[in-house]
Amino acid sequence: MSARQNLPPKLAFVAFLWVCAFTLPWTIQAFLCLLLVLGRFTIPALRPGSSRAARAFSRFILYSIAVATLVSLLNAVLIREGAIVGNIFGISLHQEGLLFGARTASRLLLLSFSILLFFVSTPLPDFIQYLQEKGLPPYLALLLLLTLHFLDQLPNRIHQIFLAQQARGAPVDSGMISRTKALFSILSPLVLSSIVESIERGTALELRGFLHRPQASQPVEQGRSHTYWLTVLVLSLAIVILSYSIVKWLIG
Amino acid sequence: MSKSIRQRIAEEMTGAALPFVAFCIALNLTAGQITAALKIPLYLDSIGTILVAVLIGPWSAVICGSAANLLAAALGNPSMIFFIPVVAVIGAFTGFLARLGWFRKWYLVALGGLLQGILAAAASAPISAYLFSGVMMAGTDFLVLYFRSVGNTLLNSVLYQGLTSDPADKLVSYLIVFFLTKNLPLRLVSRLRGASNLRTPDRPS
Repeated sequence: MSARQNLPPKLAFVAFLWVCAFTLPWTIQAFLCLLLVLGRFTIPALRPGSSRAARAFSRFILYSIAVATLVSLLNAVLIREGAIVGNIFGISLHQEGLLFGARTASRLLLLSFSILLFFVSTPLPDFIQYLQEKGLPPYLALLLLLTLHFLDQLPNRIHQIFLAQQARGAPVDSGMISRTKALFSILSPLVLSSIVESIERGTALELRGFLHRPQASQPVEQGRSHTYWLTVLVLSLAIVILSYSIVKWLIG
Repeated sequence: MSKSIRQRIAEEMTGAALPFVAFCIALNLTAGQITAALKIPLYLDSIGTILVAVLIGPWSAVICGSAANLLAAALGNPSMIFFIPVVAVIGAFTGFLARLGWFRKWYLVALGGLLQGILAAAASAPISAYLFSGVMMAGTDFLVLYFRSVGNTLLNSVLYQGLTSDPADKLVSYLIVFFLTKNLPLRLVSRLRGASNLRTPDRPS
């Protein structure tokens, strides 16, 4: 199955996890986080698209687990409500604070993992092409693709300008005020060159009639594949959980 | 007959605007590299949005901020996706101020930056409080915890944290954009839709 065919069920899965993050108890959320981390290794559709994406995901998991632990502990120390559940170096940990921290951390991790796993397993150009198929105007699709091009170029350009200004004697290593002034000596040529480049690119786009080109017609769907039914199933499950939580909340 | 949002966006995204907005989205995402290289304690993560709001228009600025947050989420900062409404507010408000001519005088720019900071703090506080319980995996989380520990509610704590950091950051971003646009040659700026936002009667194009 191609990466683009996988997109509707993956998006539905992200929506399902968002619903879970706001409706289910924190213990289930923590369990779902664990499943997501395991899914990154076992489910083909959730595997990172490149080794760089895999490294970014692993780094984020380690970082977020450290932050989640810190958040839980800090809340347990600073929110002094409920029974004392333990002591670390003579500092009391309070139950209410610890629970608040655990709830917050599991929700944050579930939301973050779901989004990050979607993006590390989906090449951005594929996602943009999918959005265009679903009705995103061509100029917005081009905007996102151009941004990816600039994102590749900009760090090098910034580095070149920085070195050039340093060679010309700009105070890039002096005091705070001098360094803030040096900020303009980097930003000004960067913005100026980008305007010049934008005018050239804009003229080229207009000459080719890109901005006045009629939108491509939508491809006719050839029957309903199993990804369609998977998407419907996941979304239905999300709606059931959401409806149950709303009813439960209304009853009290 | 009033135009639809899609028509207004399409009207702004013509000619040089499209590549320039793309550049500004990338600038939002990489401005941190410049401040890190110069060791300046600033984020400047909305400088591209402000530039677009002034030089192109409010709708393009909303698109610029939203796309930057979407791509930031894709590139490893997933919580940014939930703050798209905040950057939309920043883009729309800056574009509105620019159309009023506030980017012609430095003191109006400074006042606009402070107002923007307050607005951004107010817009982000409910998202940060209700979605993330005030935890954004950043250094400012300690400030939220401090405000909570002295007896404030979660929403108030997040709002106070925002009010201590956002106005200063937006003030600096606004002033940087003001001085940047002031030094740009009018011959080039006049090719962009928002050139009239910067032109004063005593400054011929």
